Amino acid sequence: MKMRTAIVGLGKMGLLHASILSTFPNIQIVALCDKSKLITKFAKKIFEKIKIVNSVELLRDFDLDVIYVTTPIPSHFKIVEMVYSYGIAHNVFVEKTLASSSVEASKLCQLAQTSDGAHMVGYERRYAVTFNKAQELIHQGVIGDLISFKAYAYSSDFIGLKDEKAVKVSASRGGLLRDLCAHAVDLALWYFGDLRVISSELKCKHNTGFEDAVKFTVRGVDDLKGCIEASWCMEGYRMPEAGLTIEGSKGVLHVSDDKVEFRNTAGSLIKWHRHDLKDDVEFLLGAPEYYRESKHFIESAVKGSSREPSFFTASKVEQIIDQVKKS
Amino acid sequence: MLILVGDNPFHGVSHLSQERARVRGDAVTTPEYAADLVMISLENGADGFMFSVSETTLSILRILGEKDVANGLRLYAITPAAAEIARLMGSEGGMEETAKRFARQMVTLGNFGAAFKGLKGAILMDPGSLLKSFVSYEISRIKSSAAKEAILDSVMLHEIVTDMGLALNLQWLFNLYIDFMLGLGIKPGFETRNFAFLVNRFREWNINLREIMIAAPFNKVGFQMNPSKVECEQALASLPEPNVVAISILAAGYLDLSEAAKYIKSLSNLKGFAVGVSREKHARETFEFLKERL
Repeated sequence: MKMRTAIVGLGKMGLLHASILSTFPNIQIVALCDKSKLITKFAKKIFEKIKIVNSVELLRDFDLDVIYVTTPIPSHFKIVEMVYSYGIAHNVFVEKTLASSSVEASKLCQLAQTSDGAHMVGYERRYAVTFNKAQELIHQGVIGDLISFKAYAYSSDFIGLKDEKAVKVSASRGGLLRDLCAHAVDLALWYFGDLRVISSELKCKHNTGFEDAVKFTVRGVDDLKGCIEASWCMEGYRMPEAGLTIEGSKGVLHVSDDKVEFRNTAGSLIKWHRHDLKDDVEFLLGAPEYYRESKHFIESAVKGSSREPSFFTASKVEQIIDQVKKS
Repeated sequence: MLILVGDNPFHGVSHLSQERARVRGDAVTTPEYAADLVMISLENGADGFMFSVSETTLSILRILGEKDVANGLRLYAITPAAAEIARLMGSEGGMEETAKRFARQMVTLGNFGAAFKGLKGAILMDPGSLLKSFVSYEISRIKSSAAKEAILDSVMLHEIVTDMGLALNLQWLFNLYIDFMLGLGIKPGFETRNFAFLVNRFREWNINLREIMIAAPFNKVGFQMNPSKVECEQALASLPEPNVVAISILAAGYLDLSEAAKYIKSLSNLKGFAVGVSREKHARETFEFLKERL
């Protein structure tokens, strides 16, 4: 029997997830939801066999098994709260970040606990072959005892934007920390466990109160020292990129979306590109990690168990972001 | 075998790593330099140019026309320039804002015919009319930029559109696009990263595979050949005639030319292939070598 599924938010991420899910044999997309009149009118013409609605409340009538929330970040809390409160679906996937604050994230974790379904947040890089290879190398002790790391997330999205537009777009995307930096934070938490913020520096290039670049230092287990940086005004990043450089007692590991490199203390370099890491998927759209992410989420929905990053795991990103804002 | 120059380097794209694209620097993304690379490629064995429709590539076409090298030049256009649109969606603040920006552009650039049809499509909320007007707009941009002697062989839907349409089972979109393009006398094409899936779907939908062109990755290491290299090769072998242009034959720079050429030669049902180049020497050597070997 197919799982009845709805997508809320018909932007690029909503369409991407709808497309990938449509290739799964055990999924039936029954409803799409967007508050834009223009988009819903068009969607009705395009998707003849799928119901299109403009309000989350209307999804109560669809007897859903699975829901994907792919709206802009500032709306996540209200929508996910509604999904659980109204019992719209018990398996809930939310694009990152889970919410707009650690308080909101904590409330959503409590709501998720009241449901027996799966929950997951879309930090897709956890399903990228390069980041998985790096995690494997860390866990195997290849780089030795961890000494320090630098995590980054860069894009060129805001280069050339006028102040007024930068403010508007930044707000709609939830700000730099949530929109872009969250990827670097999630990867650091995944690799190193709990972190605490020591100091931070937020740069507001457009002089508007919205952050354009951020740099902060953290401490982890066994006094691991870390630095996390993000900017969406970085030259040369036509596509957003995240990565880490990790110094260990046996060498230095660098990982990004494209490759993993390990240079040991003797100076030998080993390099893996995506090509070397079995990056095939059944259906490729955007990047292979999106397919794997949804595959794992749907498998966990079938089994009634959660896969990482669960709401609880993702709420740790919110805690770090709140610490950066307060420090 | 049809040999095409690809345009990825001209947009600062490297599928091997973004770092590699950054190291190449900005020179390759300037239309004058890129046009020189296309010319060198043509002089050394390339038959045509495969490109995403963008301001950069349209400028390249204009320069090629001015330098009188367009005679017999075969063009394979890919639209929309989806990476650029995805970037615009990030900087414009969403789907609706991006759509409005495109509409403004269509009017500002004076393509009133396409804009009128587009407006009609928008008023009637008719995605089919909008698709046709957008494609007409793109074709008019190409034709007004390229010299008259250049031949627009095919206009291909970008992989994002093709693959979303395949996944979402939008048979009407493919039928409409094919009929519209055939009506214009231009071969309808589809770029895809899911070649085997596309061939299966098109057979289910009874789409005549002889009437279309397909651009899909084919390389020795199976890079971006989904769901697997073997299934893509089997799907290729099953086609009624060679209508596939292989892309990513160097697996984004992972393979060397001789490895790539050996693999491409082993495939029996290819119409041709496209390769991007980023330096003059690279252009000369690449196309000389490939022309000789393939």
